[in-house]
Amino acid sequence: MRSTRPATWLVPLALVSALTLSACSNDSSDDKGGGGLGGSGGGETYKIAFQGPLSGDNAQLGINEVNGVQLAIDQANESGDLDFTLELVKADDQGSPEQAPTAAAQVLQDEAVLGVIGPSFSGATKAIGATYGDAGLSFISPSATNPTLSEQGFPTFHRIVPSDNVEGSQAADLFAAKGYKKVVVIDDLSDYGKGVADELQKGLEAKGVAVQRIGVDAKTTDYGSTATQVASAGADALFYGGYDAQAGLLAQALKAANFTGDKYTGNGGKSSVFTDGAGDAGDGWFFTCGCSDATVAPEAKEFSKAYQEAFNSPPSTYSPEAFDAANAMIEAIKTAAEDGAPTRDSVEKAVDGLDYKGITTSVKFDDNGEVDASAQTVNLFVQENGQIKLLGNIKDQA
Amino acid sequence: MSEFLNFLMLGLTRGSMYALIALGYTLVYGVLQLINFAHSEVFMAGAFGSFLVVHLVVGEGEGLGGFEQLLVTLLGLVAGAISGAVVAFVLERVAYRPLRRRGAPKLAFLISAIGASFFLSQLFGKLFNRLGNNQFPDYLHKGEVLWTPFGARIKLLQVVIIISAVLLMIFLDRLVSGTKLGRGIRATAEDAPTAALMGVDIDRTISRTFIIGGALAGAAGFLFGYAFVFSNTMGFIPGIKAFAAAVLGGIGNIRGAMIGGLLLGVAENLIPTAPWVGGDAWIGQEWTDVVAFVLLILILVFRPTGILGERLGRAA
Repeated sequence: MRSTRPATWLVPLALVSALTLSACSNDSSDDKGGGGLGGSGGGETYKIAFQGPLSGDNAQLGINEVNGVQLAIDQANESGDLDFTLELVKADDQGSPEQAPTAAAQVLQDEAVLGVIGPSFSGATKAIGATYGDAGLSFISPSATNPTLSEQGFPTFHRIVPSDNVEGSQAADLFAAKGYKKVVVIDDLSDYGKGVADELQKGLEAKGVAVQRIGVDAKTTDYGSTATQVASAGADALFYGGYDAQAGLLAQALKAANFTGDKYTGNGGKSSVFTDGAGDAGDGWFFTCGCSDATVAPEAKEFSKAYQEAFNSPPSTYSPEAFDAANAMIEAIKTAAEDGAPTRDSVEKAVDGLDYKGITTSVKFDDNGEVDASAQTVNLFVQENGQIKLLGNIKDQA
Repeated sequence: MSEFLNFLMLGLTRGSMYALIALGYTLVYGVLQLINFAHSEVFMAGAFGSFLVVHLVVGEGEGLGGFEQLLVTLLGLVAGAISGAVVAFVLERVAYRPLRRRGAPKLAFLISAIGASFFLSQLFGKLFNRLGNNQFPDYLHKGEVLWTPFGARIKLLQVVIIISAVLLMIFLDRLVSGTKLGRGIRATAEDAPTAALMGVDIDRTISRTFIIGGALAGAAGFLFGYAFVFSNTMGFIPGIKAFAAAVLGGIGNIRGAMIGGLLLGVAENLIPTAPWVGGDAWIGQEWTDVVAFVLLILILVFRPTGILGERLGRAA
């Protein structure tokens, strides 16, 4: 419905584009941009864009990610290994497919942008994949997990997280192994929510587990009747395919409706927005996520420390993935720069040829832009006393 | 049976909020023959206003006793009503009265209302926040079950909301049918020029009508925010639904708005979830809004003036 009220987003959009335009007119010696402080390699300035929700209901996820990207760029500039200076361009799409094309147009008109981290959301990615493809601009999404994205023939699409197919089918394995007889699967009618729910349903039915599907629009504020339906279904478990803010409301309604089965949601629900929104109704919820916990993974200790110092908050869902995606993009720009001035085309080629070990995964893309099968890990998390805790690889949780 | 009762209670809860908002649309239509499209933002203002007051007075309010819970609810209703009334009053002064003075065409009122609606929604976003899911502290223990007739779970919160709404509607009904102000409102709706000749102050009556409608919407804003969540864009969908409810009952007809609201809320909860047993629903909740508006269209096809028909207003 927000799309029917253009004034809601026109104002920030106008501001953002005004800022970007003024940023373009600065020459590269001016150290105003993004925080590329001191120690930079000098030379040409190249830009990496971030596209994701920086305002609106899903802004928290975008902020988690853009901070990860910012950190990677700042570290690269400070390292002194670069013959050029990197700068971050932020494009806010509010996570929505309607606003993604505007954000993408804003990125594309800046010639200095050589690669994009994002979009964060599957729907937004679907909306702009062809646009970036036509422009030959390489993009790596740190969190768009809808399975069909890699089947659209977007030539420059990459993502460093496993698709919901992997998450959904591994969750189905887990549910069957836990001996659930009937599972209620809810989706929020979004590309992401429906994708993961469909895959899970397929996996469960193949294993002989009964499935009841419910679709609830993501703009719902009253989950009373959904929760009543779930509670009356006599199911052993529930899975919600959707995003954090709504999952939090559902958690409260389920508690009020006295649903006693196990409760799961996917990577879209795992965030502090969920834990804040659900309160103690969120305790005991499980999260499946092709993401890692930056506060415990040994490879990520340094990253966590640097992130905390830079942004005064611990890294959250998808911060480490965004950090990895940005570092992979920087690596590709470095490779492309070895043979003269890098262009969008040469960077895209370099991204396709990447073999980079990040803190969450090894970044090596197959022809469809999916990360190599060997590197696709899905982890299970649980909320305890208001905190989300890593349980470990989902395959070891039955 | 128990599931049916659960869904019915959910429907009555939501429907009574729709009814309270719908009354504002219908009252204003009665006296001005125009739809106040900024009414949904009056509703939103009630939620924010009541939150500020209640939170200031009670804080997080953990472990409130029964009597204190009642006081909190009353405080919220009054604060929401006052916030709604103030916003509606200002709205009428700023967005409508200047146009009326200059004899502007009906379309100008509509545009002015849409502008005011944007302005209010953005203003509250700027003043407070733009998050989608603000919540009241859980003063009433949302999960608390009051009765379990036939195995259904009737919640305290639902009962509080329905009783509050019904009391407000009875109060309004008395006000309009039994007081001097109510007579003025009815006279203005019947025939404004003649009412003016008979000594009714039209401007004052219109202003008071906005205040009454705003107070009801503000109280509904409190109940909605209390039961679910509130945000600066919360008004849009309930506003559209309540407008539909007003049309369903017969626009301009006060009892029609009440019936329309309740009917819409109940239909919205019962129809998509039928047959109310454990298995798959026949229609499914993703069709909720479709069900609501198909119902509206069907009723309008067979009864173009709504269930109870237009009564307060003149024939358009």
